[in-house]
Amino acid sequence: MPLVGSAIAGAAIITPVLVVLWRSFTTGRLGFNVGLNIANYVRVFGDKDIMAMLGNSVAYAGGSALLGTGVGALLAWIVARTNTPGKTLVELLPLYPILMPPIMKNIAWILLLAPRSGILNGMLQQFLGIETPIFNAFSMTGMIWVFGLACVPLGYLFLLPVFLSFDPSLEESAYIAGSKPVNTMLKITFPLAVPAFLSAFVLNFLRGLRSFETPVLQGTPANIKVFVSRVYDSMALEFNTGLATAYSVVLVALSVITLYFYVRATRFSDRYATITGKGYRVKVIDIGPWKYLTFFLVFIYFLAGIAIPFIVLIVVSMIPYFDYDTFMKFPTNAVLTNYYTVMHHPSFVTGFYNSLVLSVTIALVTVLAGIVMAFTIYRTRASGTRVFEFIGTLPLAFPPLVLSVGLVIIFLGTPLYNSLWALGIGLFVAYFPYAFRNASGSIVNIHKELDEAAWVHGARWRHVFFKITLPILKPSVGGALFYIFIEAIRNVDVAVLLTSPGKEYGPVTLFEYFRVGQWAEAAAGGVVYLVVLIAAVSIAKFAFNMKFSL
Amino acid sequence: MVRTSKIAVALLATFLIAAAALAAEKAATKAPSKEQVRKETSSASATAAAAKAFEKVSAELYPKAKQEGNLVVYSVWDVEHLKVITDAFMKRYPGIKATYWQGRNPEIVTRALTEFQGGQASWDVVLSDNAPPVIRAAGAIMNYDTVQRDVLYLHDPTMPTVSLQVQALAYNTKKMKPADLPKSWEDVANPKYKGVVALDDPMRAGPLSSMLSGLKTQWNDDNRYNNFVKGLKALNVPVHQSTSAMFRLVISGEYSICMPALLHDVFEEMHKGTPVNYNKAVPPVVFPRQAGIYVKAPDPNAAKLFAEWLISEEGQKAIDSVGRETSRNDFKSHTSIEAAFGKNTKPIPVTDRSFLEDPKKWLDTNVKPIWG
Repeated sequence: MPLVGSAIAGAAIITPVLVVLWRSFTTGRLGFNVGLNIANYVRVFGDKDIMAMLGNSVAYAGGSALLGTGVGALLAWIVARTNTPGKTLVELLPLYPILMPPIMKNIAWILLLAPRSGILNGMLQQFLGIETPIFNAFSMTGMIWVFGLACVPLGYLFLLPVFLSFDPSLEESAYIAGSKPVNTMLKITFPLAVPAFLSAFVLNFLRGLRSFETPVLQGTPANIKVFVSRVYDSMALEFNTGLATAYSVVLVALSVITLYFYVRATRFSDRYATITGKGYRVKVIDIGPWKYLTFFLVFIYFLAGIAIPFIVLIVVSMIPYFDYDTFMKFPTNAVLTNYYTVMHHPSFVTGFYNSLVLSVTIALVTVLAGIVMAFTIYRTRASGTRVFEFIGTLPLAFPPLVLSVGLVIIFLGTPLYNSLWALGIGLFVAYFPYAFRNASGSIVNIHKELDEAAWVHGARWRHVFFKITLPILKPSVGGALFYIFIEAIRNVDVAVLLTSPGKEYGPVTLFEYFRVGQWAEAAAGGVVYLVVLIAAVSIAKFAFNMKFSL
Repeated sequence: MVRTSKIAVALLATFLIAAAALAAEKAATKAPSKEQVRKETSSASATAAAAKAFEKVSAELYPKAKQEGNLVVYSVWDVEHLKVITDAFMKRYPGIKATYWQGRNPEIVTRALTEFQGGQASWDVVLSDNAPPVIRAAGAIMNYDTVQRDVLYLHDPTMPTVSLQVQALAYNTKKMKPADLPKSWEDVANPKYKGVVALDDPMRAGPLSSMLSGLKTQWNDDNRYNNFVKGLKALNVPVHQSTSAMFRLVISGEYSICMPALLHDVFEEMHKGTPVNYNKAVPPVVFPRQAGIYVKAPDPNAAKLFAEWLISEEGQKAIDSVGRETSRNDFKSHTSIEAAFGKNTKPIPVTDRSFLEDPKKWLDTNVKPIWG
């Protein structure tokens, strides 16, 4: 039964992928039919510039993934395992930055770090007399910093359940043998979190490889060209989806290589099992005076991840225009016209409501399907299930616009086209890798002895799945639901081709302001959007004691 | 001997016909023909004739369009603008329900042509700048010549031009004195502007590449054109793939000159009191924004009516009310070329079909060899 479920989910994912792959051999420029040929691939592999672009892409995606996953893992460890003061606050602070969409971070950090007009360089000049710009948003470092910050939430949410479900006997053995806390952390704790870390790293790396906004806004002015720009040029300049897919195949190859290393690193999954049949309570480590440093680190991340960019956006949304002098005059020059504009946008409110309903549904379905697939791979005896490891991650290798073309072709002429179902399936395909990788990373940490005990006593798969695996995975399920909901509610790239005329989808409305460069209105819309989500998260946490994997 | 002479004459005639055909094709694709570029102003009689023609065609199309009952528009324009415009259309023509889908140009082309290839009768009109010619090149646009052609600044007999994209040389007034500004587009390449100019990426289908296409056509002088592109390259300044983000950075003071900015953005910011202005002495580059009617349109009469209405005085008022530039040369508005740049301005039209329909090929031939 899990195999059937996984096969259905896998089919939903692989079908649009196969459609676009097939078209890469049969199509040239849109609107013109060509026979079966390999012209697109000849172009791709004859492109002299791609190696340099791939180098930039790997540096940018690798750097961002390392920064984001590393900081996320550190935060998860601090929250789950240390006696850092202000527990409630420390639990909540890393969550808020998830709510801020990456493009809002881009805009805010450009305003902060632009060499000549950036707020931070302006302050250094005004208050310290430093004339030469120290910060530069338009550089590889600037790109890695901003996208790396956007990668932290995924690392945090993937690693937190692992640290929360740790069998303390492993660390206690180290202490008994004389190991110090830091040594234990480096040699015992973190190595056991490797599968979840790699899972988050792989996802963040693939997100970086195909991310487009940061390279366009921050890379192009610095003449840093990344590989994915070739994919977009194929669509935007040549209108050739076949060529775009052929370029995407290079990303698929990179994904396969990355996954190969992941599968290889986690092939002895039993080694990483931290949840066993033994009863235990997760032990909080007393880190002494270091706890103030860890609190400071969480707070610094909160500042960089959301507080500072959020304050910048609030000010930008309320000043007549942005330049350093006008920014520094705030609040004497505050106006609310941008909020008026946003709230009177024809579809801001209705669109927000529509996307809210769809995002909740998609998060639930995707997370459940992701767990079923991970269960099939790691907990059933069916052969060849490792292929799902690849299929489940495949959509991440394709830029969303390329993937949505495959979906449009599948749905064309069916009643599903231009319906909410098509959009729902599109979002399912786009976010399945997150649900799947999260479940896969977590399931590896559960020792097989738990379900083996059930199998021995004659349990069927549904008993094992619903009574053992799912309850144990509860913390990571919460995190994945929260993450996918937040991502889906702000999705534009997949949604844009699948929304029908006359139907509003919230994020498309909000991000239209970003796309057309109305930064002040975009900031106002972003502030409204963030205030609503922050209020929702805070109410959920304090009023209903919702866990968000905590 | 006679036979040989006949063959020679036939060959010569064939050669001459082929040469003439090639020359005609070259002229058709490069130089703005009289059909494509109209007079800057129309006479009062032309205005009256256009109004009469519109009333007639409107009366013919409306009953059929009402029977169709719907209109589906794909557009790159802001949703706020589309709402105002379609609401005004529905108010003028009750019984027709207009819906729209908004995306960027690549998304519009991808969706429209994928549906076309899939045989779908799913949309009626595409309202955009870069997308309609590309869709037309694939055979998905129905030829439709507006009855109000005589009052249009840019006229294309296959797709009505309903608005113009006007590019201006904008600058930050806090950073640049008017006296120090470039005197022409060509002057931007002057080395003294190194470090202060923000350039749109000339290797994408954006405003700068369309400007280059317009200038190349207008100058008809390869040396001059090559030197201009080389000069821009020699500035060694950052290029941007988002025109709007680049414009924001000029406002913020990161750069002083925007090469180029869109006039409606400049006006919108000037209206808010932003320290930005444009050099009126530099002739604007004008790019047609067209209403392309789908060959498989489910509501072709509604589509034609919409295109005609957009060009009518009432439609142009709706377009003007959202701050977009109008396409009629007899329509008085603060964004009209005459009002914005002065009476005797000679704008630079972008009309080269080879650029409009296949920007990649044009850029590979005319920009890449110089820009690299």
